[in-house]
Amino acid sequence: MEQWLAHTLPFLSNNDIFTPDTLAQYWGGLVVTVQLVFLSLLMGIVLAVPLAVGRASRQAWISRSIWFYTYVFRGTPLLIQLYVIYYAFTYVPGVREAGFGAFIDNATYPALLSFTLNTAAYTTEIFYGAIRATPSGELEAARAYGMSTFTAYRRVVLPSAFRRALPAYGNEVIFMLHASAIASAVTLTDLTGAAYYVYSRFYSPFPAFIFVACVYMVLSFAIQGTFRLLEKRMLRHLKPA
Amino acid sequence: MANTEIPLVVRDLHKQFNDTPVLEGLSLEAHEGDVITLIGASGSGKSTFLRCMNLLEVPDAGEVIVHGEPVAFQTRRGKREPADWRQVERIRARLSMVFQGFNLWAHMTLIGNVIEAPRHVLGLSKREAHERGMALLERVGLADRAGYFPAQLSGGQQQRGAIARALAMEPEVLLFDEPTSALDPELVGDVLKVMRELADEGRTMVVVTHEMDFARDVASQVMYLHAGRVEEAGPPSEVLVNPESARLQQFLGPRF
Repeated sequence: MEQWLAHTLPFLSNNDIFTPDTLAQYWGGLVVTVQLVFLSLLMGIVLAVPLAVGRASRQAWISRSIWFYTYVFRGTPLLIQLYVIYYAFTYVPGVREAGFGAFIDNATYPALLSFTLNTAAYTTEIFYGAIRATPSGELEAARAYGMSTFTAYRRVVLPSAFRRALPAYGNEVIFMLHASAIASAVTLTDLTGAAYYVYSRFYSPFPAFIFVACVYMVLSFAIQGTFRLLEKRMLRHLKPA
Repeated sequence: MANTEIPLVVRDLHKQFNDTPVLEGLSLEAHEGDVITLIGASGSGKSTFLRCMNLLEVPDAGEVIVHGEPVAFQTRRGKREPADWRQVERIRARLSMVFQGFNLWAHMTLIGNVIEAPRHVLGLSKREAHERGMALLERVGLADRAGYFPAQLSGGQQQRGAIARALAMEPEVLLFDEPTSALDPELVGDVLKVMRELADEGRTMVVVTHEMDFARDVASQVMYLHAGRVEEAGPPSEVLVNPESARLQQFLGPRF
């Protein structure tokens, strides 16, 4: 960061907007965005793996209830989910007494919760589709060699499904990055929040938002590149020699 | 009555799919070193018969006994099912199956496929399983392909790899479900050669096949199935050379 500033400061010395102060704002926003997205994706995936397995369960009530959860979270806008969760904590009595005061005081927690539940819903469906696409012969071979259902899932079905799900999941990660922009709607100063700040301070929307768009774009490219590398490595078994 | 000497006994298997009877009372005894080939037109029930032996299909009636241990069944909500799936898993680990479509695990390398079940079902150490696996790949002529993924191998190589995977379990009986039917004609020979060697070694095998030469040369017993029943059975020198049943004569072709 320091080095980057040393290079860009002379270049920027003639403009009023991109001062060290606003750049620090953007930097702070970047940190918030990356933290929000990373944590919600991490918790989302931890939730999604068992949910996807349950979604593929032959027990109708398990499969149906998970379907209902994913249907609700995929069928409504993330912004609405965020609002509902954010305000729910302030309206429901006894939240603070129950030890969830932080959810009222700090918008990070409701934002994390809604992002996590949202991405978990999408990821569940992505993984579920990949599990369903497991070649039936591979599962049959696992059974024929004496694997229990648990072992067959752990060693054959899930490793195979995760690989298949990789491209779709990469899209979900980029989608979450872009969707996280709405965190600014509940007072969080993420990247978009920082852009708002700069915009309102200088009344110049274009530099403020175009700059932040570029930052999002760089992040997206980095994610895309990472997934391309991962796919190259993890999906090489699908390429004929 | 439970003879612990006999690796695999099945008695009076019955099976229906949606009210269509597929197996109507099939029995078989595979003694140590037997090579039993099941032949018959498609739809005769031979694959289903084989798949009942390792419980990939659950027979509606009948017994499966491995080295004197009968599979326990129970009836739940009107459906017959194994009473103890752990027992089924244990028994399956003793009867390796080779499939028509190879069914190698696509995301694992060839050696990974071979060591997978020995490691995670039999509990072998990585080193033990790897040594065993490499020796088997050597046997089937694929040692130099150990690090390849199934998609990078020809059908014949995949099937030989699948046979190595089956052997890695050191099974008491090998079940082959039309192992050469999905192969190009020029690749069939390599797979059959490996199977002949296994038979010569004295392995106990049950083979569903359309390869009459293999049945004639290698089998100790041939069973011709028709509509879920045994139409004719016996040593290949009788069944394949002088078939009694008109259907079998027709099945074997214009020589009769």
